[in-house]
Amino acid sequence: MAEDHGSIEFEFDGHRVRAESGQTVAGALHAAGEHIISRSFKYHRPRGLLCMSGRCPNCICTVDGTPNVRICTQAAKPGMVVKSQNAWPSVKFDLLRIFDKLHRFMPVGFYYKRMYKPRWMWPVWEKIIRRIAGLGTINREHGAEGVYDKQNLFTDVAVIGGGLAGLNAALAAADAGVTVTLIDEQPALGGHLRHDPELVEPISDLIRRVSEHPAITVISSAGVFGCYEGNYLGIQQGQRMIRLRAAQVIVATGCWERPLIFENNDLPGVMLASGVQRLLHLDHCQFPGEAVVVTDNAQGYRVAKQLKAAGTRVSAIIDVRDNPSETADGIRTFRGHTIISASGSRHVNGAVIAPLAGHPRQSISCRWIVQAVGFTPANSLLYQNGCKLRYDESLDQAAVIQHAPAMHSAGTVNGLHDPRDAASDGQRAGLAAAEALCSPCLSVSNPSVETALETQSHRGETAPMCHYVSPSDAKKKFVCLCEDVTEKDICDAIDEGYSNIETLKRYSTVSMGPCQGKMCQSASIAICARHNGQSIAETGVTTARPPEQPLPLGVLAGRTLHFSLIRRTPMHAWHEQAGAKMGDAGNWKRPQVYSSVPQEYEAVRQRAGLIDVSTLGKIELRGADVVQFLEFIYPNRFANLKLGRVRYGVICDDAGILLDDGTIARLGDDRFFLTTTTGNADAIDSWFRWWLAARPEWDVRMTNVSASYAAMNLAGPRSREVLKKLTDADLSSDAMPYLAASECTIAGVSVIVLRIGFVGELGYEIHVPSQFGLHVWEAILEAGREFSIAPFGLEAQRVLRLEKKHLLPGIDTDALSNPLEADLPWIVKLDKADFIGKESLARAQQRGDRNKLIGFRLSEPVVPDLASLVLCDGKLGGRITSCGYSPAVGGTIGLAWVPANLAGNGQTIQIQVNGRTIPAVVQDEPFYDPSGAKLKS
Amino acid sequence: MVAQRMWQEHELKDQYDVVIIGGGVHGLATAYYLTQMGVRNIAVLEAKYVGFGGSGRNTAIVRSNYRTPEGIAFYDLSVKLYEQLAADLEFNVMFSQHGHLTLAHNERGVTGLTERANTNQLMGVNSRIIFPEEIQRIVPDLNVFGHSRFPIQAALYHPPGGIIRHDAVVWAFARGVDRGGGHVHQKTEVTGIEVQNGQVEAVVTNRGRIKTKTVLNATAGYAGLISRMVGLEIPIETHPLQAAVTEPLKPFLNSVIVSSTLHVYVSQTDRGELVLGAEVDDHASYSLRGTLSFLEGAATHLLELFPHLANVKILRQWAGLCDMTPDYSPIMGGTPDVKGFLMTVGWGTYGFKAGPASGYLMAELIASGKTPPKLEPFGLTRFYEDRLVGEKAAASVSH
Repeated sequence: MAEDHGSIEFEFDGHRVRAESGQTVAGALHAAGEHIISRSFKYHRPRGLLCMSGRCPNCICTVDGTPNVRICTQAAKPGMVVKSQNAWPSVKFDLLRIFDKLHRFMPVGFYYKRMYKPRWMWPVWEKIIRRIAGLGTINREHGAEGVYDKQNLFTDVAVIGGGLAGLNAALAAADAGVTVTLIDEQPALGGHLRHDPELVEPISDLIRRVSEHPAITVISSAGVFGCYEGNYLGIQQGQRMIRLRAAQVIVATGCWERPLIFENNDLPGVMLASGVQRLLHLDHCQFPGEAVVVTDNAQGYRVAKQLKAAGTRVSAIIDVRDNPSETADGIRTFRGHTIISASGSRHVNGAVIAPLAGHPRQSISCRWIVQAVGFTPANSLLYQNGCKLRYDESLDQAAVIQHAPAMHSAGTVNGLHDPRDAASDGQRAGLAAAEALCSPCLSVSNPSVETALETQSHRGETAPMCHYVSPSDAKKKFVCLCEDVTEKDICDAIDEGYSNIETLKRYSTVSMGPCQGKMCQSASIAICARHNGQSIAETGVTTARPPEQPLPLGVLAGRTLHFSLIRRTPMHAWHEQAGAKMGDAGNWKRPQVYSSVPQEYEAVRQRAGLIDVSTLGKIELRGADVVQFLEFIYPNRFANLKLGRVRYGVICDDAGILLDDGTIARLGDDRFFLTTTTGNADAIDSWFRWWLAARPEWDVRMTNVSASYAAMNLAGPRSREVLKKLTDADLSSDAMPYLAASECTIAGVSVIVLRIGFVGELGYEIHVPSQFGLHVWEAILEAGREFSIAPFGLEAQRVLRLEKKHLLPGIDTDALSNPLEADLPWIVKLDKADFIGKESLARAQQRGDRNKLIGFRLSEPVVPDLASLVLCDGKLGGRITSCGYSPAVGGTIGLAWVPANLAGNGQTIQIQVNGRTIPAVVQDEPFYDPSGAKLKS
Repeated sequence: MVAQRMWQEHELKDQYDVVIIGGGVHGLATAYYLTQMGVRNIAVLEAKYVGFGGSGRNTAIVRSNYRTPEGIAFYDLSVKLYEQLAADLEFNVMFSQHGHLTLAHNERGVTGLTERANTNQLMGVNSRIIFPEEIQRIVPDLNVFGHSRFPIQAALYHPPGGIIRHDAVVWAFARGVDRGGGHVHQKTEVTGIEVQNGQVEAVVTNRGRIKTKTVLNATAGYAGLISRMVGLEIPIETHPLQAAVTEPLKPFLNSVIVSSTLHVYVSQTDRGELVLGAEVDDHASYSLRGTLSFLEGAATHLLELFPHLANVKILRQWAGLCDMTPDYSPIMGGTPDVKGFLMTVGWGTYGFKAGPASGYLMAELIASGKTPPKLEPFGLTRFYEDRLVGEKAAASVSH
């Protein structure tokens, strides 16, 4: 990033800040002397940069309207508008800091103990709480903007992390002959060596070999947020989500530094060593004034030297250890010491240090406190995927004791902090992953690597457990920076009984904030262990859950937000041109009405009408055992369904509940054509596949042809005459009677014709290959012109079918309706061999009907709302499922569920309409053409 | 200030009058109300820690706008008990009754909600159908009139509905049990139940054997396993239910929003996080791992309702286990086959909101030996007698 030295300007809280090109927003603010970046969640304490790696919550700001952006990983761009959050009136002078002074009135969990007496007080308090809660503000104007997309990839080996271990793992696996995808969250490879360059000799050659390797794909600036079942990785790269399926996964995610727990450890100016190094080496910043480094490892000495080289006066190194092996290069060193507290109000101005025992104390004035006290491994992907980890005291971190299948880990996440160990561990993991995929590739045994774990140099010799919590009783030793949880809060919560680490988390809210425990996990577990008198291993950890990093909803939704599925039938454009009012039916668009319901009704009843039913589910079944399958799926009989015939059928579940209805046509000895309702097309498809999977021995081949066929229903007394003009087939009622199914040619197109009549007239349901749907549709309308044919929509169809008392599954039935009670008792053949729902239906038949679906005529000329209630003595008796004005009856008719004792023909039921009840009479017969003469004509 | 302990740790006694298996809201509420009714020699056995299961994983919605008269009466009692729970237990459980809206995006949806509104009103529950203008007034941030694939047509508005601090309810009940003289035993796993001559005699745990004549199975996910210990098969299939939470945002959403067409529901806690969830997973499973497809679906659907949340971030996702019965209603009460064995199980996706009512009524049943009328419809025998309580339509997504 040093190539381009142009400088840019952006805005922070209303004033301009200059940034070097390539610098992060946080780096630019640091260089500009802006050290209060945010205010804490509860106490509104000033907070400044800490980790510089997108892990901690301290630099969260609103950037160009997007709330809660970590500006330490956000490159500064010209014109960017950055605003601080959660402060009033400003982040520099936040009046809500009063909570910091009141903090003894707000101990851990205080809100559970107050504000509920008397009862009306809670809503009042809650209003106030909801005014001050939360961090960022949503952007009502521009929040929906942004272009998101998704990508699906697969790979032999996925390596997560582009540090020393990851680079070596990728190279080893790729050299062994498998394809590798390396995912790295930084803009350039190298891991922490990018900001800790003196740790090891330059690795530019290694990076070059990885970048140029033909079998390695590198995905940079991308974070793996989840490792889901079957090594299915969710990756965020900016506004893109990548779904990567990997045969083997190597987790080389490294670790992040943990903060030291001492009083006022949250003051601006207290930083992690790696954060300081990132600012020094990546953002080219400086640390003017004096600094104190507190450490227990070699990194502390390196950062001290680097600070010194950059012009900072390093006044002391506070080393927790008694006998460190590192030398301080002339810097004053306090061995066996730690920091007790930081002083300052808006920024550090000094530190109090003491031996580990706590006394005697002495003050050192300084502007920066740099902490290098060890690491928390970035192991959440390992936990997510089911690896077993246990706290290892010699490593002072959790170590994998059992990997999940096809998963490996390498490098510092395994506790190997020596670069040579990490590199060879990476090679080992890379080879192991490759060998799991192609056994003859290369021998994995590499004894020098196997023993690396045992021989590695530990960071801190005999460091006391949880030495990173300083020995003092101070009240403001912050453990969880996101939620302002202190060491005392945690101890108090445990004293109250919340001693389990999970209960402790939920009560104290430790680790529940935006960083999800990245900064506080080590310390909270250590404190919990100490206070419970347990070991860290016994204390355990809270469950790691995806996403590993906060993940925008837009990235998850992808493009679907702007691209909702709409399904249109082949005749859709025609309907629109004809001025049809279109409506949604699931994802489909369907004509509701063209001219008017009475006109369309009349056309069907008097002459001929045509409706588009392409949305029906259509399934073709072939095979020797189809009959057996149908007999099993449907409660009615199909063994005796003759060639060229079609039959109505309903589908029930095991409980005998009616799921769907449709028709089953036999087009050949072993060939059947089935329809389902529009709404259940997908569900019935899965239902069939489910049962076919359970009966692999059956010879049934199933093809879903829903989209291959357009379909239309020609209905009305003149429909035969209309159709005759378009076909040579014999349409006479002898040749093609009611419930005939045939394949013939209409308007030059091979079609399937079913003589069925949902609307109660002579009718033909014609299934046409989709590409000819419009042609046949237009041909029929043209042929019917002399008979004044009219297209009709769903609204007219509803009235027409209601007059015939034909039910609609899901509308006239619900999750308790069986066919016996839904007025279809004839369809259930209990003398058949086993079928789905048989046992339940047999029981239901035995106990008799409790409720029944009946037809009714209302005594008054009003049309009640659907779902109006049927009342019996003022209590709930049932409900209306369909109703409307019937021209045939000249009044309101409908279908309703009522208690069986009210379901007899001619009985009166009471329907609740607008607060009063209106009587209605039960009618057994259909309201139109009860004998079916017209249907069969 | 000296910390007052919420609950004590006790030695496991070798005899209790009542042993309750499961330290979630149902077990603890039953135990609490038992102590209130004078039955104090009782133990709640929890294999992990209180609130480990569904009680700590649910999305804390409380409502009573159910579909069937049985369901409505039951959940109405629960809402009323929740309203006075903070005072009863002297613990702020933060029940915020900011209203609950179930959205309908098509005609069928509107019909289903109308039916519920009519039935709710008949039963005296505050619930009504409202239309887009009023919906927009109540939820200004909702995409009611903007571009949408399935525009909102109406909503079932249930003002007493809302959200509660679920963990607090569990802790408060646990403290209530403790103060009332009952024992709460965490990390105590039941390994067997001894039955002699059709009567429960003892419960065997990893910490020892307990003599008792009355055992209550108040578990979820494992309800079938516990019932099988006395040789009882119950019609339960376990499905995971997933949820997720966003980073905290300045509160803008007071009501609970549910859409069964879009398979999503969302609410905003007092901390500012959005809590969102969907329907139970299609297939039966005991997996507590979340899936990516859940997150993708929930995000897509939430953005249909609130498009301007696209850059809001998900913090974590999780899953819980839901014991589904065939009619989406719970199983409460005893069984004629094994004396002394009672159940409050099959709580599906609607268990938390029922906690106080089920606890109160189960306690009444145990203390008096008589089944309270509100409990009657939910007995196990309804499956033998085909007397189902059809809440499937109302429960599908609105939990």
